[in-house]
Amino acid sequence: MKLVEALNILQSEKQRKGESFTCFLATGMNPLHLKTFLAAELSLLYLYQRIEIHQGLYGDFLGNLNRLANADADCGIVLMEWGDLDSRLGLRTVTEWSASACIDILSNAKARALQVQETIEKTCQRMPVVLCMPTLPLPPISFVPGWQASSLEIDLKALVQSVASQVSQFPQVRILSPQRTELVSPLRERLDVKSELLSGFPYKLGHASTLAGLLACLTRMPAPKKGLITDLDDTLWRGILGEVGVDGISWDLDHHSQMHALYQGLLNAFSSEGVLLAVASKNEPSLVQEVFNRKDLALSANSIFPIEVSWGPKSEAVARILKTWNVGPDSVVFIDDSSLELAEVKASHPEVECIQFPTKDSAAIYDLVLHLRDLFGRSSISQEDSIRVKTMRSSHSGLAAYEAGKTSPTRFLEQIEAEISFNFGKSPLDPRALELVNKTNQFNLNGKRYTEASWHRYFLDPTSFLMLVSYKDKFGPLGKIAVIAGRHNKKLNIDMWVMSCRAFSRRIEHRCLEELFAKFDVDEIELDYSPTDRNSPLAQFLMEILSVTPSPKCTISRRALAAQSDAFPRLQETTNG
Amino acid sequence: MDEQQKRLASCFSAVFPELSCEEIIHASPATVPSWDSVAVVTLLTVIEEEFGISIEEDDPAKFDSFQRILSYLQEAERKSQSPNDVG
Repeated sequence: MKLVEALNILQSEKQRKGESFTCFLATGMNPLHLKTFLAAELSLLYLYQRIEIHQGLYGDFLGNLNRLANADADCGIVLMEWGDLDSRLGLRTVTEWSASACIDILSNAKARALQVQETIEKTCQRMPVVLCMPTLPLPPISFVPGWQASSLEIDLKALVQSVASQVSQFPQVRILSPQRTELVSPLRERLDVKSELLSGFPYKLGHASTLAGLLACLTRMPAPKKGLITDLDDTLWRGILGEVGVDGISWDLDHHSQMHALYQGLLNAFSSEGVLLAVASKNEPSLVQEVFNRKDLALSANSIFPIEVSWGPKSEAVARILKTWNVGPDSVVFIDDSSLELAEVKASHPEVECIQFPTKDSAAIYDLVLHLRDLFGRSSISQEDSIRVKTMRSSHSGLAAYEAGKTSPTRFLEQIEAEISFNFGKSPLDPRALELVNKTNQFNLNGKRYTEASWHRYFLDPTSFLMLVSYKDKFGPLGKIAVIAGRHNKKLNIDMWVMSCRAFSRRIEHRCLEELFAKFDVDEIELDYSPTDRNSPLAQFLMEILSVTPSPKCTISRRALAAQSDAFPRLQETTNG
Repeated sequence: MDEQQKRLASCFSAVFPELSCEEIIHASPATVPSWDSVAVVTLLTVIEEEFGISIEEDDPAKFDSFQRILSYLQEAERKSQSPNDVG
């Protein structure tokens, strides 16, 4: 991004009238253009919010950290450079680069690093903290030539690594990857000596822009893709199965097809992280089954569901997969070596991200692997992520029979031995609740998203409540699958209500309302409903209860719900909190 | 307004969006309340980006009006077109 572009983005952002997203940037430097770039990048991520970036005093890094710890902000960004650990490591202090000074610098840096660590640990209890370790080259303080690593350089880098290692244990702390920074902003293109001396801003413009983009991404992690549909021939493995047979395809060094093994390994990892995997291939089903029986395949067939193997158009296979998964097409990636197949799928499913597998270009496959990690990467893996594929596979056949009308709803719910539990605990707030609120689109009351800080602020209201719903049946646990939050003050208001699409068709939404009526002993519940582009499943549910199209601030009565719920068996339930 | 003036004016507009075209031509610390040291550094950086030049001046405060910056750019362009004419 060019500086003029950033300024123009900020100019248009000033028109926004929504809530503000406030970020405190704790650094010892004059953040100057970095602050401009950061504000612009954040305004591109937070499309409806005004961006406010607060900063402390120039040259007072530790003081600014303390200001951050006490700030009322949605997020903190700690940007540390070597001069923040000891001013002699910067360019604006009278130099004292003797051997004895090196010992003193290291000692001073250790003391300050400990303070940095302690303050970040304290701050992350209140807000998410993004940490950027020093990105600039160290000045030539030590007596060794530049091509030799000095003990000071090694010790200082070990020191900041140690701080990063310690604070990385806290889920609210996200650390900028030095490796990614190195890839996109080479070390020699970072330091601007003239700017540092003139204004106290040490970054070249390109580095500032790059760093701002990365920091903004850490501040608001992009929603990871949910599902990957892969082709088989010349994609999951090298070779055309129908031509060379089961033993003719390969994914190993001997056949110069090792990159396919790497791709398989990545998909296997994705599966364990909760990514949905499916196959869309034009092939002979029996042959494909034989391949999946091979012991040397790095990806188990159990990790993939469904496997769509036929000679029909791939767009139709993709449509069936999307229906089975019940996820939005914009959260799905389709990978195929054939540009024709990619175009055919793209024409029918424009929101699906279609990526070509570069079969004979190992370096390009490696780049693809890196890109896929970015698309599907997440900060942490929940228990729900790790069981997603298993529960989807096991419950699919039962649900399919139910949805096809072969099993009555009553019979279906009795058969599956459903158990539901409600947890009303607010302290501590379960991070899964916010995750669900921010990633659920279809069964979502109003589409409102929350930052970690605004989420915590909401529950400071003593009248607020949080209901986190877990579910399991004979097919296995679905984990925590729904969240309702609202306020109880004479009447009951629901401000947010989301439910994972995996939990549809089980009447869980009815049971949630029954539970609220019972727990709070009210006759009516007011919902902060708002239609969005994608929340038609929730609208349909409300219409079923209300018998009219739902409107904002619509109200559900206990009687109206009872009229709908009587026909269905009560799920076994437990209530906590 | 020639092409160079238009490009310079667009730089001013990015840094001082509150100014009209007419005000930009007469912009200086005396006429623009938001003209401070940060604005000058930002303005010069935007100009460097826009014109692909490096402003070799240790004292940014010397660039204290639209007209002086325009003169600097005209002089820099003249020198780049006559490489032997370096004073």
